[in-house]
Formats: sequence, C-alpha cells, structure tokens
Amino acid sequence: MADVTLTHIYKVYPNGTKAVKDFNMQIQDKEFIVFVGPSGCGKSTTLRMIAGLEDISAGELKIGDLIVNDMEPKDRDIAMVFQNYALYPHMTVYENIAFGLRLRKLPKDEIHRKVVEAANILGITEYLNKKPKEMSGGQRQRVALGRAIVREPKVMLLDEPLSNLDAKLRTQMRAEIGKLHSKLQTTFIYVTHDQVEAMTMGTRIVVMKDGLVQQIDTPKNLYNYPGNKFVAGFIGTPQMNFFEGTLLKKGDDVQIKFEYTDAEITVPYSMLYKAKPSYLDGNSVVYIGLRPEDISLACDDVKNNKAVVKVVVSHKEDLGSETLVYGDINPNGDGYVESSTRIIIKDNSGRELKAGDVVEAALNINRVHLFDKKTEESVLPRVPEYNYLDCEISKGKIKFLGAEIRLPASVNTEDLKGELLLPTDAVTPDGDLQAEVVSCEEINGVYLLSLTLGGKRLYAVLPEPVDAKTVGIGIDFKKITVTACGENKIVPMPEVNAFPCKFVKKKICERVEVNGKTKKKKSVQFGLTVAGAFFGVADETAQKIFTALGIKNAYAANLRLECGIDRIAVAESGIAAEAVQTLDYGKEKYLKCKVGDSFIYVKTEAEYNGNICLLPDFEHVGIVEIEREIKII
Amino acid sequence: MKMKYRSKKGAERASLVAIHAILIIISVIWLIPFLLMIILSFRGETVGTSADYIFPKQWSFNNYIKLFTETKFLRWYGNTLLVSVAVTIFQTIIILATSYALSRLRFKMRKPLMNVMLVLGMFPGFLSMTAVYFVLKEINLTQNLLGLILVYSASSAMQYYICKGFFDTISKSLDEAARIDGASRHTVFIKIILPLAKPIIIYTVLSAFIAPWGEYMFSSFIMLGDPDQFTVAVGMKSWLDNSSLMSDGYFAVFCAAAVVVSIPITALFIWLQRYYVEGITGGSVKG
Repeated sequence: MADVTLTHIYKVYPNGTKAVKDFNMQIQDKEFIVFVGPSGCGKSTTLRMIAGLEDISAGELKIGDLIVNDMEPKDRDIAMVFQNYALYPHMTVYENIAFGLRLRKLPKDEIHRKVVEAANILGITEYLNKKPKEMSGGQRQRVALGRAIVREPKVMLLDEPLSNLDAKLRTQMRAEIGKLHSKLQTTFIYVTHDQVEAMTMGTRIVVMKDGLVQQIDTPKNLYNYPGNKFVAGFIGTPQMNFFEGTLLKKGDDVQIKFEYTDAEITVPYSMLYKAKPSYLDGNSVVYIGLRPEDISLACDDVKNNKAVVKVVVSHKEDLGSETLVYGDINPNGDGYVESSTRIIIKDNSGRELKAGDVVEAALNINRVHLFDKKTEESVLPRVPEYNYLDCEISKGKIKFLGAEIRLPASVNTEDLKGELLLPTDAVTPDGDLQAEVVSCEEINGVYLLSLTLGGKRLYAVLPEPVDAKTVGIGIDFKKITVTACGENKIVPMPEVNAFPCKFVKKKICERVEVNGKTKKKKSVQFGLTVAGAFFGVADETAQKIFTALGIKNAYAANLRLECGIDRIAVAESGIAAEAVQTLDYGKEKYLKCKVGDSFIYVKTEAEYNGNICLLPDFEHVGIVEIEREIKII
Repeated sequence: MKMKYRSKKGAERASLVAIHAILIIISVIWLIPFLLMIILSFRGETVGTSADYIFPKQWSFNNYIKLFTETKFLRWYGNTLLVSVAVTIFQTIIILATSYALSRLRFKMRKPLMNVMLVLGMFPGFLSMTAVYFVLKEINLTQNLLGLILVYSASSAMQYYICKGFFDTISKSLDEAARIDGASRHTVFIKIILPLAKPIIIYTVLSAFIAPWGEYMFSSFIMLGDPDQFTVAVGMKSWLDNSSLMSDGYFAVFCAAAVVVSIPITALFIWLQRYYVEGITGGSVKG
C-alpha cells in the first residue's frame, strides 16, 4: 500500500526564496491527485521533491510507512513522466521501456513479457523497434507512460505530461490516462497548469499559488465551495464574475449594494446564514462572486427572482450550444475590460441580443460566493468557523438565543451585555440545551450540524453524525470569546503553548569501565534549551534541524517549541515555572503557569501552588524557526 | 521616373560569385606550401636549403627510402604515436568526466572553480615550462616518454568548456528519468549521456590527438640531448638546425618526413570530419 504523506514540507533555495511553504497532505492509496496552479506556484517543485530530484529543505515525506527524505529516487519505488517525454533518443522504444527493468537485473524473458504487456495496454506494439525521433508527440508520450508503468511503481508522478500535445490529442490522452489509473490501481500524482485537466482527472485537487496550498478538495467541492477568491477565479471557464459591494442586514432581508453602479438587490437572510455578521454592516466592502452559469437571462427566471440587475450588453461569443454574453452592470461601463462591474453570462435562452441592449439578469444568490476584500478569504465559508451571537451574562449565567447556561467558575466575569464568539467546534452534543436539528452533512470528514435554537441558526462541527431530530448541546467554555464595549471580557485558552528555545550541542564526558579499567568516553549530545532547561533530543530530530537550518546556523537560530496544552505535564524536573491559577472548566482542569514573561497552560488533575517543573511530551512537539517561520518538526 | 532595381536572384548570384572568388584565393594561398612540400618530397635530384624551381626534373621515391633506412625517423614516429595515443585516452576520459560533473552536479564553489580553470587555461602553457622541467627532473622523468605523457595530460581538465557546453544542451530530464528508472550517476553517464555525446567525444579525441602530435616546445625541452626519445617535431627540427645536413640535400628528405607525419592526421580528419563539424557547433539533442 502506498500512501504518500507530506508533513510541513518546505523548499527554500539558498538565496532565501521559499518555493514551497508548509505543504501538508495525506494522499491515500489509489488516489488521483492533481496539483494545479499558475506557473511558479511550486507545484512542480513539490512533485520533484516527492520524486527525489530536489532536496527537501524541511519537513517529512513518507511513501508507505517509510520516511524517504534522504532516499535516492531509484529506491523510492516511483515512476515519473516528464513534460518533454525524456525518452532516451539512442534507444528503440523497446529498449526505452526495458531500461529500468534491465537495470534491476530482471530475467530476459520476464522483461520481454512485461514490455509487450505495457505496449499492448498503450497500443504501441507496432512501434517497438522504432527510435523516438521517428514518432509523433502522442506516441512518444505513450512510450514515456509505458516506461513508467512497466516497473509497477507504488506512485506514478506525472509532470505536465500533456502540455506538449495539441488540443485534440490532449483530450484523448486525458481519457487514456484516466483509464490507465483505474486499470493500474496505483497512486497518481499529476501536475498541470490546466484547470480543465485538473477538474476532469483528479479525485482530489490541490490548488497552489506562490508556494502555498490554497485548497485541497474534490473537483466538485472546489467548484462549488472555493475557499478564497484565487481558487474561485482559477477554477471554471469563463472565470467567475467578481463584483465589489456591501451587504446590509435589514431584519430578515439582506440588501446587497454594488459599488461603482446604482445596482442593488435584496435577498432573504436565510441565503446568507453562514456569512460572518461583521460583513453585513453595510460598510465592509466584499467581493461578490457569481459564476456565469448562475446568472440567467431567461424571462421566467427574471420574473420569479427578486435579485435582478440591469446589464448593458457589450458583445457576445457564440459557442453553438450556448452564448457567452459580455456586459456591464454600470450603464457607462464597456464590458471589455475586466473590472468590478463587468459581467459575463452563460446564456442558454437563445435570446437575440446586440451591443447596447439593456437586459435584466437574474442572479442566483443561493450560489453566491463572498470574499473579504483584503484577505480574499471566503466570508461565506462552507464550514463556518464561528457562531456570532448576542449574549448577556448575569449572576454567573450566560444567556444567548433565549437559552441559559451556567458558566464554570474559572470563566466567570461581571454582569454584562455583549457578543459571544462561539467556535463551531466548541458546540458539543453532550449537554442539556435542547436544539432542533435542521440538517447534518458530511464535509471533508467532519459533520456540519445546522441547528435551530430559539428560532435562530446555530452551527456545530462534530466528528460523528447526529441522527436525532433534536440534540442536547453543551459548550466548551475554554474556546469561547465574549466581548463587550469593544473589550475582550472572556478570552479563549490557547491550544498550543509556545516556548522560545535554542538548539545546543553538549559534550559529555563519561567514565566507562572496560575490562576492569576506567576509561573516559567522550560523546556529543544534541538538545534544546527551553527556558533554561536542557532536553536531549533524538539523533533523528537533530538531523532534521541540521537539514533545515544548515550545520552553521543551527545553533544560532531562534526556535520556538510548540506543544499542545494536553501534551505537557507537571514533573519532577524540567522547565521551571510558577503556578498561578487553577482553571476549572467543570469536566477538565487546567493549570495556568508563568514561565518567563508568558503564560503556559497545562492540563492537570491535581492542584499546584508555587514553583513547579514542566515536562513537554517530546514525541508530540513542534519546532519552528522563528525568523523564516519554517516548521521543522 | 523609372525605378532602378536589381532582381533578388541577380543580387544573390553576384554575392555568391564574390564569396567564392575570395574563398578560392584564400584556399590557394593556404594550399601552396602544402603542395610544394609534397612535390619536393618526390624530387630525384638534390635540393638545397631552398627550392629554386618547383617541378622536379626527375620523380623518385629515394627520399622516402632514405627516410626509413638512414635516419631515426621511424623511432621518432613510434615515440610520437605512443605519446599521442596515450594522451588521447587520458585526456578524453578526464575531459568528459570533468565536463559532465560541471554540467550536472551542483556543488559549492562550482562557478569559481570553472572561472579559475578558464582563466588559468588562457595563460600560455610554456610559462610553466622551467618549473615543470625541474619537477620532472626531481622525479626522474626527463628524457622519458612517460614524462611527456604526464605533461600533456596533466591540464586536460581545463579544456572542459566546449564539452560542458555540449552536455548542457542534453536535456536534464533524461538524467532524471534514468535516475528514477534505477540508474546511478555513473550508469547515467555511461549508458545515456555518452551514446548521445558521440560528436563531442570525437571532437575531444581529435583535438587530444593532434596537440601532442605536432607539439614542439615541451618535447624539445624535456627530451633535450637524447635523440632516441625525440618526437617527430623535435627530430625534424634538429635536421633543419644542422646546416651541413641541409646542404647535403636533406631538405627533400625533410619534406618526405613531413608528408608521412601528416598522413594519420589527414586520414583521421577525413574519416571523422562529419562528426567534427557537428561536434563543435554543438549538436542539438531532442529530449
């Protein structure tokens, strides 16, 4: 079985350029993964790191159960297909395919059998005695595929294999590679800049930009639920329309005003439940994204829809089955330049239109996408991160959505009226606040539960599905935030403790008894000094630090040790700390300690006072280089 | 007003004629000494230190017979052949290996090393002659063919430039494909790169052979005083320096020797010229 696991993979060039930043992914066996993005986004570099053709600057790459960071390409049991085919020009097709098998010293008749079998699958049997230069591009790429599949690798890597082919051949080869995947049942990793290839072939797609993973999801989800503006614009042709506008909540309706034009529409709030309330204030400008196919010019749609804007048609592209209508929602716009009022409509109504016509277009707001203007992140996420609620705290009880819960002793505060920021994963299904279940859908391995409480919407993210019509919910109080009058009254506990630390080398002089004589034995121990305390680390860890930082810089670099609040414990020796307070959350207790100037939280059963020692669980810590923000472990 | 113009074809023809005329004149100037040498080598009557007339009154092979029976020429010829072949083998291996390493491997100081080698290679080799002589003397390799082979092969790596340029044109994805297929760097070099580098290997072989074949300065210095160890260039120059020998009509024998010396090179060139031209213009290899 060949899962491929990439953990905090970085590629940093000697001049400091980060080609790939913090790439994390678990690729399951038999998956067809596509890396897609504009050129220079790091997709090929990632692939080449998996192949072993580029060194990995930091992070861990596993193929199957083996860490392959330092393994030669030939030992990784992978095969790769290159954009320029990379066939050996002086060998015949047969020799090209057999080359890898011959190097592995397989018996001759077995090589012959395998080569002929591969040639049969790819339909190149008649060319076996030809040289690559006598063949066309499509045939050459088949040979390259043959060379890859004949070795029966655990993972097939394909680096833009179809870019050098003409359009018709590309479509044909696309289908054939798909067929090959289902036939071979191995993991495929495919790099392309062509989103059509990505959408048609991948079981999951990784969208990358500037070395950063933007989103990893199935083609359908990428299309329907893009996580940010880049993904939204990159996936789908013609591109999604992006308007700038403001949203204002008025009772049960939301008024959408478009910028640079007078156009405005009103839609029911129920369509925008998941939107962050801070964007519904009528001031924050957001990008309003709508795909050309979600805008209709058909008369029925326009009649039955309240969300209608006037469009000045500028030109159109007739594609036969449908027409792309270009226009502008600003009466003075020209519809040619990509602006925030230009609109492209995929029209199937067959209406005859000419330049200058003013038509009404119905916007399908159920499928609208909203993005923050600055961060370009979605503000209408598929899985909302937080519930934004009004709340009131009085006499140690918190009231929200008409319900009332007693606050645990440790988060008690004075009486106030304010806002409650309730993370969706802080809503647990084991409390006694009865809420009605509206729907429960599975999204990327977790379950999004839509609830109604006091007539209002509440979201919860759970690891398990819920079948019942009503569910008793509780709240994990260590994750909530309460603000009043612009001040944070209750803040969530950090989930990860951070310590500044340094990597050090310690020379150890031991006395060892050998044959009755005492001898001095010198050895070197690598370790970390965390707030004055020394912890030895495994050679493997030291090796990773050296690889990421270089031998010279390793000792000088400022590092940060990260460990989860449940991955650190009070011990007899370790980091010196001062116990400040015990935080009681009912079911769990946490100890708030002071180390240096910062506070550290430790999950605990007992109560402590005064000076104590803390011991992180070094099996589960992270080490980050502060300057370049590279996660080493 | 009538436009005056020449047809494109006419203009092309005129320029072709001009080019060819110039080329013919240059080649005549180049070929005359060579032809004169061949003609003189077949002269039956004696020749003084210079030729007073061109065509011989009597054609004969006497000069060649004299060359092989009365002189040490055959020994010198053997010496030169031995040195040249040995140097060709060493130099080709060293240059190919260096060039491949510099073209494919990325290591610290690679660029500075390449620059230093390039600049060092620009200094004329004889600058180091005295030093080299003393070193050879210390290790007892003067008046010894092994010493000569050592001197000629020693700086081969500095001639990496053209060869590296050729390797650079071979797509790196070939190396990568082979490495994924299971080849080590060594296997990639032997099984993938070398078969594709035929033109540049031939170029390297040719230039490695020609240089010691006609080299005079180092060999005259190292072999000084032992006529048995002379190479052809040193030996023949010793004839020219001997005025009594020259006035004895040895110039015709000298010409015969020159013809014999030029035979292997000419033969090599004619046989390999196709690859030679391809080699220095850098054959493009399609991936």
